Amino acid sequence: MIVRADFHLHSCLSPCGDLSMSPKTIARTLAERDVHIAALTDHNSALNCPAFDAACREFDITALFGIEAQGQEECHILCLFAEPEPALELGKELYDLMPPVMNVPEKMGDQVYVDENEDIAGEVDKYLITSAEIGMEDLSRRVLELGGLVIPAHVDRPSFSLTSQLGFIPDGPWDALEVVRMPDRSQYVNVLDTRNYPLITSSDAHFVEHIGRRAFDLDIGDEPLCRKDGRADLKTIRAALLRRPR
Amino acid sequence: MKTSELAGFLGARCVQDRFEDRTIAGAYTSDLLSDAIAHAPDDGVLITIQAHKNTVAVGSLKDLCAIVICNNRPIPDDMIEAARDEGIALILTSESQFAVSGKLYPVLGT
Repeated sequence: MIVRADFHLHSCLSPCGDLSMSPKTIARTLAERDVHIAALTDHNSALNCPAFDAACREFDITALFGIEAQGQEECHILCLFAEPEPALELGKELYDLMPPVMNVPEKMGDQVYVDENEDIAGEVDKYLITSAEIGMEDLSRRVLELGGLVIPAHVDRPSFSLTSQLGFIPDGPWDALEVVRMPDRSQYVNVLDTRNYPLITSSDAHFVEHIGRRAFDLDIGDEPLCRKDGRADLKTIRAALLRRPR
Repeated sequence: MKTSELAGFLGARCVQDRFEDRTIAGAYTSDLLSDAIAHAPDDGVLITIQAHKNTVAVGSLKDLCAIVICNNRPIPDDMIEAARDEGIALILTSESQFAVSGKLYPVLGT
């Protein structure tokens, strides 16, 4: 069975995300656009994940709970979990590791999180697009400890990516790499060496109109997408990612 | 030094010249934007090779007078537009971050 997936979405919690990007609006739009499984991945915070959980139940979307983490190397890494709790735990740890640079909402945008009724539940005071004092290896190790998936984001982009910061794709516990465009292997020049890791594309949506663009097909075979408790089965997803083009 | 004097002083090219002419308070050299956010002085200049619009966002957060892009890194149009919207001067030079920092240090160093 093939399911449509979008593993990179920002909500109103990201300063660069539109205020209209409430978890409920995201889930409703995903359903309209036939995306079956989706991950909420705000910058360095998971505080909208509980509301995303409720919204995805309402619109029958299988939810992943994530963070687009930024550590010392300034590479963006998608950290995805089956439940909100480990995402919230990682978010708490990243918050403590971020420098005390405060957000200026008038300049950088709001960083608000909401409850399941879409009422504002709070605001994050530190600016979220800074680097937590943690290296990529330690970050990945922590995500694996918490039971999550590790997917470096937009590795072919000229900013905040493995290639922009390091110049190449290093070895790592990557379950996949997110690319903005699938590489054209018929071109023999200037093609990024993705080191044989599975590749996915996702929307990196900050605005409603971008939700679900670049969604990708995840071939889960005969395995169940969800566990008995209704949460996404990361074992199935890991196996399905291995079937992606490289 | 005033923002308007910077390009001439460096022998560089000002590629976005719509800004309010202010006195430059200092400078910081870094290619890690998060490091620049943490350490660039308010009303200062950022010396970097990060030629994309995220650098302008840092400039806005820190009220920078100017961003100096080194090594003739190509500056995309959307970066120039963003800098114009924010009133931040964009200066392009063929010199390295080291060379630009060395030139500015006697003038802006404290």
